[in-house]
Amino acid sequence: METKQFIIIGIAIALVIAVAAPFLASGDPDGLESAFFSIYEAKPFMGSELDEDAAGAAEEQAIAATGNDFSYEALMPDYSIPGMDKPGEVFAVVIGTLLMLALVFVVAKASARPDN
Amino acid sequence: MHIPDAFIPMGQALIYWVIALVFIALALRWARRSMGEEKIPLVAVLAAGIFAIQALNIPIPWGTSGHMVGAALAAIVLGSPFAGVFVLTLVLLVQGVIFGDGGITVMGANIVNMGVVGGFVGYYGYAAVKGVIGNAYAAAFIAGWASLFISAILCAVELAIAGTFPLELGLTFMGTYHAVIGLIEGGITAVALYLIASARPDILEHPMGVSA
Repeated sequence: METKQFIIIGIAIALVIAVAAPFLASGDPDGLESAFFSIYEAKPFMGSELDEDAAGAAEEQAIAATGNDFSYEALMPDYSIPGMDKPGEVFAVVIGTLLMLALVFVVAKASARPDN
Repeated sequence: MHIPDAFIPMGQALIYWVIALVFIALALRWARRSMGEEKIPLVAVLAAGIFAIQALNIPIPWGTSGHMVGAALAAIVLGSPFAGVFVLTLVLLVQGVIFGDGGITVMGANIVNMGVVGGFVGYYGYAAVKGVIGNAYAAAFIAGWASLFISAILCAVELAIAGTFPLELGLTFMGTYHAVIGLIEGGITAVALYLIASARPDILEHPMGVSA
């Protein structure tokens, strides 16, 4: 396979995953969030019921424990565009994927070993 | 496994940033010495693919989900643990700044856990297991699993130091969930390595065996 073909197929696979991810991805808390909710008694360790109120309180408790109340408003929080539902999520992940491609290309080009 | 800002005190978060910056500097030195210009498109595509697949949370038991991290894959394909640091640093930067996934003050800790630990355990785990059992894909699976699991264990220790998780419960919960999520990491690492090796065996930094 030629390099150009290989790269194009790679980009195509990344974009297919990006478009499909918002539809296929599980909305359940990830491993770290689940551990956090279990420790703060908002979710059983091996059960799936999440107590939303306790989860919210747990976040307050964490801030109180660490004193780190830094907050930051991201442009597309949680891979979504506020008020745009699924199309917004697809847009967010696709834009992120293309941004990665461009950013890493530029940074890699600037830091790679010169060939000559 | 992206730690949010609230989970680690500012002072400790700063220390992880310093450690991360040391490894970022070493990763840039690796790139200058060993990442040839012909590798640039591959690195960019790997990073884009890793970003996309990180958005794909796969359900595991207990109302929990997990996703691929990808540092082990980047390290194995590009032939250096620092490739994992290089790619994951940029992935975590975009995730944190644009998408609010993972904190800003604690980004150093996330880079250490996923980029540094993921890259080093992935690369050296792959080399060691491949040396013993000889099969590259089984080695990639085991190295991928171990990279994710050990990242989670380190994360639990950091959160215990932070005062957010009690040590024993944190290790038990993080270890249990990520022992399962590691199967996702190992599986995708092995499949992706197979696809890349099938399409372009020459592109792998060490096609027949990793010389550590």
